[in-house]
Amino acid sequence: MKWREDGSKAWMCLWGVLPVFLVLGLVLGWMAGVAWSDNSLCFGCHKDESLTKQDARGKSISLFVSEPGVKNSVHGKLSCWDCHTHIKDDKHAEGGQKAADKKVNCASCHEKADKEYQQGLHSKMIMKGMERAANCYDCHGEHNILPSKNNKSMTHVSNIDKTCNRCHGDAVFVKEHALGAALPKEEFRKSVHGKTGEITCTNCHGSHSLRSLIDPKSTIFRSNIPQTCGVCHPDITKQFTESVHGVLAARGRSDSPTCTTCHGFHGIKAKVDPDSPVNERRIALTTCPQCHAAERISKEYKITTTPVSSYYDSFHGLSYRGGDTFSANCASCHGVHDIQPSSNPKSMIHKDNLQKTCGNCHPRASENFAKGKIHVVASIKGEEFGEKVVGWVRIIYILLIVAVIGGLTFFNFMDWLRKTIDRVH
Amino acid sequence: MTKKYLRMTLNERLQHINLAVNFTLLVITGFALSYSTAFWVSPITDLPMGMTFRGFLHRLCGVATVFLGGYHLLYLAFTPRGRGIVKDMIPGLQDAKDLLETLKNNFFINRPAKELKMPRFNFREKLEYLGLIWGTIVMTVTGFILWFKTEWLQFFPLWAWDVARAIHFYEAILATLTIIVWHFYSVIFNPDIYPMSWAWITGDLTEHEMKEEHGLELEKIKAREKGELKEFGEAAAVGGGRVYAIRREKIEKEGGKPLSLRGFYGIVQRFNETIKNWKGT
Repeated sequence: MKWREDGSKAWMCLWGVLPVFLVLGLVLGWMAGVAWSDNSLCFGCHKDESLTKQDARGKSISLFVSEPGVKNSVHGKLSCWDCHTHIKDDKHAEGGQKAADKKVNCASCHEKADKEYQQGLHSKMIMKGMERAANCYDCHGEHNILPSKNNKSMTHVSNIDKTCNRCHGDAVFVKEHALGAALPKEEFRKSVHGKTGEITCTNCHGSHSLRSLIDPKSTIFRSNIPQTCGVCHPDITKQFTESVHGVLAARGRSDSPTCTTCHGFHGIKAKVDPDSPVNERRIALTTCPQCHAAERISKEYKITTTPVSSYYDSFHGLSYRGGDTFSANCASCHGVHDIQPSSNPKSMIHKDNLQKTCGNCHPRASENFAKGKIHVVASIKGEEFGEKVVGWVRIIYILLIVAVIGGLTFFNFMDWLRKTIDRVH
Repeated sequence: MTKKYLRMTLNERLQHINLAVNFTLLVITGFALSYSTAFWVSPITDLPMGMTFRGFLHRLCGVATVFLGGYHLLYLAFTPRGRGIVKDMIPGLQDAKDLLETLKNNFFINRPAKELKMPRFNFREKLEYLGLIWGTIVMTVTGFILWFKTEWLQFFPLWAWDVARAIHFYEAILATLTIIVWHFYSVIFNPDIYPMSWAWITGDLTEHEMKEEHGLELEKIKAREKGELKEFGEAAAVGGGRVYAIRREKIEKEGGKPLSLRGFYGIVQRFNETIKNWKGT
């Protein structure tokens, strides 16, 4: 303060000089910034396509980086060393110090994605030392990363299946990694989801946090499947979770069906497609009987295989098996996603609703129409009177047929024999 | 030309063909449901709406058979020939005796075999005809129950419908096997008849055939022709049963040769012989 008091104006010259330095500094800084962000220093060497180095195993690795590739990428405005923070190499250590080797760490910017990825299956596999588990750059690319909205991006919705299929469409890879020889590639492409072009692998499997089938947090874990499908099909999921199948599936019963049990996995087809397991021509032949005609399941849950076998012998079943699509199949009476046991008043086969259910096809069905037992097995040891009667009719008729036809055949044979012998003599 | 004896009038032959066609269609379309996955059903199941068509055809043939049965009843009641058929069709003690004697012949108890003189309808034919009536009644009743289930189930329990279904199925098996075993033996595989009795097409039997199968009837006719019995003759049959035979007689009178299936069969047989004996040129 003293010089101010002195009234000396000498310090004032600083006010004149400082802005000059400031401007100079800014200009220099900007120049340096430009010099670094256009990465000309790096590309000076790395634009050479023949640039290689030997890795630890003596394998030649290309060090070529396409300049327009980087420029056009989503990271085009970053400098090389925003990502390549430390490069351990004699050539780059001209500053004197060799920094510790670090791989490119996407997490320094993409914190959230990295956090998700760390919980996912691919990162766990990498930690286990698996070589061909997907890292960030396996799916997103390296220098040429494009935003996923760009249709040339590896993570654009139209390209995700190709990106995943680089490994999962490779039969050798699938076999080596014990993925059950499942090659979803072709199956999915022909599926009703694949054909839309808007649904792809990640819609069901998740992306960064993709988890294993046995991980309870996985979107494709058995009891999470209805919720996964429900993202797009919420009404059906609601119906299903309230149904007898949905309730049991939610409680972890692995025998209880979930969406995929009936609809299939990657190759899900529209129900009008004859190849679809829920096509009306297949539903009562393979889809429901896969469980309801299975001895193991029917024994455990005391549901017996009778409904299936008795259906096949009924008029409905016989006509259905001959290709009749007007004839009732399982779903016609029991419902589809909302199947309930007959004890539930909401059930289509609850005794109060049966007349209406039968009336769907038999409009004049009376109250009496819906009273009888449907899945009957003709047997003299049957549970119901009617079953016993039919059983007896059956036995009497079979005896009658054997006696009458046997008698007639024998009579005719003797007649033929006598006449033939008479002719010879 | 050997003498022919009228067996079936044109009216009766048309009834027979009608029944044969309907019965065959009923058998095929019926068992096509019971065995809908069998290989022989595939021509039906491969068709679009094949099973629906099958059901429609089955009902249509059923209705046709019922109408045919109704017509046949009227024919039996209101024509002299029809009433004659009813009279001759009543089973009696003689039929039991004929059956017994036939069995004795066939088991070589009668040695040499006794020559049996059968009436107009022998016991084989009576059994089959009465069986056919029984079967038609059973199939009609159960068939209509199955068809009109909503009406049936207004008054009867579902198990009664199931019983009707079981009866319809087993009666169908019985009827089909009876036709194959009994009828086809009578008119095809019987060594005296083979390759086929042509009566269902030509309407008449030869004297030899009459003697074999209906000896008693033959004697009656001959006696009648001699004037010993003066009742109504076959020629008086209502429905113009003699039309075919009259035409044949007319052609013969004019010196022509009537076209007969038997003659055609002979041509085929001779042709076969020629081929067999052909030694090359």
